[in-house]
Amino acid sequence: MRLLRRLDVPLLIATLATVLIGIIAIYSATYHNDSIAVQNAWIKQGQFAFLAFAVAIAIVYIPEKVIYSVAYLLYLVSLVSLVAVLMWGTGDATRWLRLGPVILQPSELAKIATIIALARYLSDRNTERINSIEGFLGALFLVLVPIALIVRQPDLGTAISFGAPFFPMLYWAGMRKFLIFLVISPLISVLCSLNLLWQWGTPYVFAIFIIGSTFLIHRFMRRLWLTISMAVVNISAGLLTVYFFENFLRPYQKARIMTFFDPASDPLGDGWNIIQSKIAIGSGGLTGKGLLEGTQTKHQFLPAAHTDFIFSVIAEEGGFVMALIVLGLFFFLIYRALHIASMANNAFYGLTALGLAAMLTFHVFINVGMTIGVMPITGLPLPFLSSGGSSLLSNLLAIGLLLHIGTYRHEF
Amino acid sequence: MQHPLPQDERPSLKLLLAPVILLFAILLLRLFYLQVVTSADYARESEENRIAQRRVKAPRGLIYDRDGRILARTRPFYTVALERTTRKDFEAATAAFTRAIGDVELDGEYSRKYRTIRLKRDVDFRTVSIVEERLKADWPLLDIEIETQRHYPYGTAAAHLLGYIGIIRDQDLQGNNENAYVLGDFIGKTGLEKVYENSLRGRDGMMYVEIDATGRTGREFPERDRLPVPGTPLHLTLDLEVQLAAERALPDGFASALVALDPRTGAVLALVSKPTFDPNIFVSFQAQKDRQRVLQSETVLLNRALQGHYPPGSTFKMVSAIAALETGVTDTLSLFEPCYGALRVGRSTFRCHKRTGHGSLTLPGAIAVSCNVYFYHLARLMSIETWHKYGAKLGFGQPTGITYPGEAAGLLPSRQYYKERGGWSFGHLINLSIGQGSLLVTPMQMARYVAAIANGGYLVTPYVSGDPPRRQRIDGISSRTLSIVRKAMRRVVASDTGTGRRARLEGVSIAAKTGTAQVPRPDDDAWMVAFAPYEKPAIAIAAVVEGGGSGGARVGPVVREVVKAFCIQEGIIAPEAAEADTLLINQGML
Repeated sequence: MRLLRRLDVPLLIATLATVLIGIIAIYSATYHNDSIAVQNAWIKQGQFAFLAFAVAIAIVYIPEKVIYSVAYLLYLVSLVSLVAVLMWGTGDATRWLRLGPVILQPSELAKIATIIALARYLSDRNTERINSIEGFLGALFLVLVPIALIVRQPDLGTAISFGAPFFPMLYWAGMRKFLIFLVISPLISVLCSLNLLWQWGTPYVFAIFIIGSTFLIHRFMRRLWLTISMAVVNISAGLLTVYFFENFLRPYQKARIMTFFDPASDPLGDGWNIIQSKIAIGSGGLTGKGLLEGTQTKHQFLPAAHTDFIFSVIAEEGGFVMALIVLGLFFFLIYRALHIASMANNAFYGLTALGLAAMLTFHVFINVGMTIGVMPITGLPLPFLSSGGSSLLSNLLAIGLLLHIGTYRHEF
Repeated sequence: MQHPLPQDERPSLKLLLAPVILLFAILLLRLFYLQVVTSADYARESEENRIAQRRVKAPRGLIYDRDGRILARTRPFYTVALERTTRKDFEAATAAFTRAIGDVELDGEYSRKYRTIRLKRDVDFRTVSIVEERLKADWPLLDIEIETQRHYPYGTAAAHLLGYIGIIRDQDLQGNNENAYVLGDFIGKTGLEKVYENSLRGRDGMMYVEIDATGRTGREFPERDRLPVPGTPLHLTLDLEVQLAAERALPDGFASALVALDPRTGAVLALVSKPTFDPNIFVSFQAQKDRQRVLQSETVLLNRALQGHYPPGSTFKMVSAIAALETGVTDTLSLFEPCYGALRVGRSTFRCHKRTGHGSLTLPGAIAVSCNVYFYHLARLMSIETWHKYGAKLGFGQPTGITYPGEAAGLLPSRQYYKERGGWSFGHLINLSIGQGSLLVTPMQMARYVAAIANGGYLVTPYVSGDPPRRQRIDGISSRTLSIVRKAMRRVVASDTGTGRRARLEGVSIAAKTGTAQVPRPDDDAWMVAFAPYEKPAIAIAAVVEGGGSGGARVGPVVREVVKAFCIQEGIIAPEAAEADTLLINQGML
């Protein structure tokens, strides 16, 4: 009972509301579909939600030290399931694993396991070790193994999402800001060398970044060998990007990136999704077209309406008002997660909560950004809303963990 | 688990919230721009949005026999459909349609869930012209769709093997996570249509068409279309001529089954199960009644050749013979106590089918006249373990491994089996030695067993398409033993006292074994297993007629017709010679 009293009720209610909106949106998105299986997706989502809420509540009552002690075990189990999916997976791109009657997407559950493992790794080490090279490489290794397995599925979007909690958690664990900049700089270099992003200005942007970053590094570190090697690393990262983009990217990935920057170039091809989604959202206007009345959804102009583009359905049928409500709910969830992180009684819990908050933020921004054309199409689901049992389960697991951490915040 | 930073150095909540707020602000601004500032532009675009995706069905793969004759094809037909409509329009249009064609039975009902409602499928050309010329002017929503339908040109031929397709059930749609099927699609339900569903169905294409406010199609976008990928054709090892000969020869009015294999590879040449059905009724829109009748009858859809369980009777005697020869219980010359029509073992008497007795016999002689008493003597010198071992070596008690759903395993009883069911006694082995008792086999197992005798001791895996699976040399059965058994089987047909005389065929030497199996029904099941030509076996046959009585009399002529059809196909005998042969039969001279 003591635990129940400390339960973060607003967080639970906000989650319930979001899931409910999702089920209604899925119902509407699939109502006019030709396939019975798709039409019944909302029922399946409801069943999964019921189950997942039960699991989430159960997690709240796990004794305090258990999650910490099984952190690496969970991580190992999730790696095994990712290997299994590569060997026995089903689906177009092998992402699903069939376990009797249920089909699971192990990468969804691996997200949480990785955050927990990383939280344990970082909380076991003091600031000095985290700021050391081997400390950093260990953390990097924990994240890179699942990423490598998921990239092979291939599921680039999900793989990248594993990186989202990494730097926030390192920062929270006490890594120096400048060191973080040091390791991020090759990634920035990649962005600066993308021809698509800067067009004719690419060489200038790239040159400015290299000069600026080298100057900064030299100023803060005052070690010539480090300055030179970082400059070499950053320049090669940029050059390699150009090379890989031209030679190694799969055609569909290249097409997605290209059309993101200029959807009108291929209105019936890969630009279709972006254009149709923007029309759906834009035509929704302030108050929307009403439930089941979205013409973009109804006439199936909207691709993957009940999964990746569920936000477009909500924004078309519920308008700007509903879109605001949904974003508001998400913001509230993230705010509560950060709040829980800052109130946590120990480093492990704080880091876990922060990682979950970062993961949620990343998913919401990438998915909603995709539907309104500010992010490329990646196929990442919208947490709590997109139809899909594994994603719903892992997101509610995350909520369960947050509730658990929040409940124990006063214990020492 | 101490925090690495002292309390006051922890990053604050505000600092963490800043990037989140920034990201949400980007989303919010963009949404505001789309939904409030420029909403009117998008509303107009949404109104004008008229490019719709249409599914284009992939043609299902054809099924051929081994000579390239089409056993299953795809036939186009016309359907009257209504596109995107309201209930009021639907009722008015439907009324006009039924008035014009004078037929009130419709296939489709109004449902606002589907964009296309199929009013009447598989209509004749008169209806098409009425719709196109008269109705379409007033009812532009009415449309003629061209659909395709599976068609089996030979009707009932090989129906059980081919199987049939039918409209996909909701349960199957549920598990269909690749969205390969939509409501109303056809899917292989049984037989090879089911086994090869994935390769036969191909992949549906997608067409992009402009539609106006009423849902009619206009401009097309060929550059954007994804063409359907036709299904992969399926080439069978089946020989249609042999199949048809077998179906004709098996007597009407009896349930029966026949399997013909190529003993060298395991290729299925013919597979018959009677009573049969016409798979066309499962795709026809007019044959609901026939379909109901077939689906409700449990006996019609059962594929007896693979799923039928039968006691094999005397056709199983070669198993006892092989076991006896291999374990040295007898040889080709040894004689046992003569057959006086019955044998007393302990307190029980076991009868021979010939009440007056067969007298003294050697093993080949005993097989030729199918003397039970001789095999009782063999059984007395053998253990059930020995008998069971050789039965298992020849493939009994386990499925043959042909790729076909629901193949039965049969039952090869062991001592343990009887112990679990009321106890073991020696009389069980006496019965088993002549293929009676609890023993159960499928015709496919029998065909494979004869194939193994014919090919010199290889257990084949029967197959219907593609490359032959690896065959397995049976160890512990010598080619000498099999050669003795083959010789004896030849005598079954060639000898004037042989039980298989009725299978004789001019120009081809057939080797066979008859069986008349006692079943818990008034009439015995008639069996024959055979291979031909004796010198160089190219076909192995097993056939059973339920309640057919004597195997030799009932199934002998069937086997001979099948071998004849096969030998004509293979050029072993000339069609004319076969004609003459039939003439002689008709005149009662053979």
